[in-house]
Amino acid sequence: MMNRADPRAWGINQKLAFLAIALGALALIGSPSPGGAVTINTQELADIVESEVDHVTVEELADWVVQDRADYRLLDVRDPESYARYHIPTAESVELRDLHGYPLYHNEKIVIYSDGGIHSAQAWFLLRAEGFAGAYILLGGLDAWKDAILFPELPADATPDEVASFESRRAVSELFGGKPRTGGGGTANPAEIPLPKVKPPAAVAAPRARKKHHKEGC
Amino acid sequence: MIAPFYKYGLFGDEVSLILAAVIGVGFGFFLERAGFGSSRKLAAQFYFTDMAVFKVMFSAIVTAMLGLFYLSWAGLVDISMVYVSPTYLLPQLIGGLVLGLGFIVGGYCPGTSVVGISTGRLDAVAFGGGVFSGIFVYGELYPWLADFVKSTSMGRVTLDSWLGVDVGMVVFAVVIMAVLGFWGATTVERKLARREAEA
Repeated sequence: MMNRADPRAWGINQKLAFLAIALGALALIGSPSPGGAVTINTQELADIVESEVDHVTVEELADWVVQDRADYRLLDVRDPESYARYHIPTAESVELRDLHGYPLYHNEKIVIYSDGGIHSAQAWFLLRAEGFAGAYILLGGLDAWKDAILFPELPADATPDEVASFESRRAVSELFGGKPRTGGGGTANPAEIPLPKVKPPAAVAAPRARKKHHKEGC
Repeated sequence: MIAPFYKYGLFGDEVSLILAAVIGVGFGFFLERAGFGSSRKLAAQFYFTDMAVFKVMFSAIVTAMLGLFYLSWAGLVDISMVYVSPTYLLPQLIGGLVLGLGFIVGGYCPGTSVVGISTGRLDAVAFGGGVFSGIFVYGELYPWLADFVKSTSMGRVTLDSWLGVDVGMVVFAVVIMAVLGFWGATTVERKLARREAEA
């Protein structure tokens, strides 16, 4: 016979079941509000800004786009005309004034970019204030994207290490329809090089409807 | 410091993969120790002679649920950052039935087959081969299945929002359901064991 069938004393199973019921009953009293109203802790926000954990680098973002990762949202907070001219693949166009009420989930990783960093930083504060803890700023914005991803430059006096790493950056640049700059001094300023067409390269998903890979769960 | 640590950027992809491996090994170890590497024990579930699978899974659900609830109550977990996989009602119902059918026929679910493989059980190896062939076939058929797979979408819905009740109410109801389930499972096990002994 099973050893747990002792009717007199409370075994471990009974005790645990009782504990579970007690905790379950206690749960009836108060419910945590999931992602509801938040109070803005300015000190906490300042600490986050100071520690720079709120950043995503353009290299990281390029990796995510190339891997076709679906665990982030990329928001372009520039005006729609600029967005139409060029945007980073997978980006969605949202202006600052439309940010409130834009369909975002509290548990998403949200990366914001603008040309430089001012508008994205402002959008970041708005989102954080609304409790979107997963908001990140694309470090350096679209300017950094152009410099480092679309038009990476190999200085004339590059070390062998730099040349080696440039080769992979060249591949990434070409994948995104950019144009690597080699030879230093003589090449054009990124502002004068025509931007790639908005249509992203074949290997990269277009700005898409929400598609979630089931990366989590069992 | 507030969890989930990964979502709050406390560590990056590499560390998260290492942690995932550690947690995965721990999970597998305890499944093995609970006897879940054996297809006989697992299949006994479906004949109501050994309800260990049901008990272990529901214990895990209740433990995780109470833990998450109270940790988020204490402000240590941001529950809104915890991933909720979206619901596609019909495809997931059918998928559940297919998985259950495979479970009865093969004696394993995908996770426990890995546990079985780790101790060198040949039936688990065969099952694992089946899992991978199935994934491959599904991948090849996906273009035809895509419309169905995305149908009856309900979004990221949880029981409390679907029923329009407090989270606490759902927590209580699930605990009561689990405890009644444990009691019922044990009663059935004893009854069947007695019948076995008499026969």
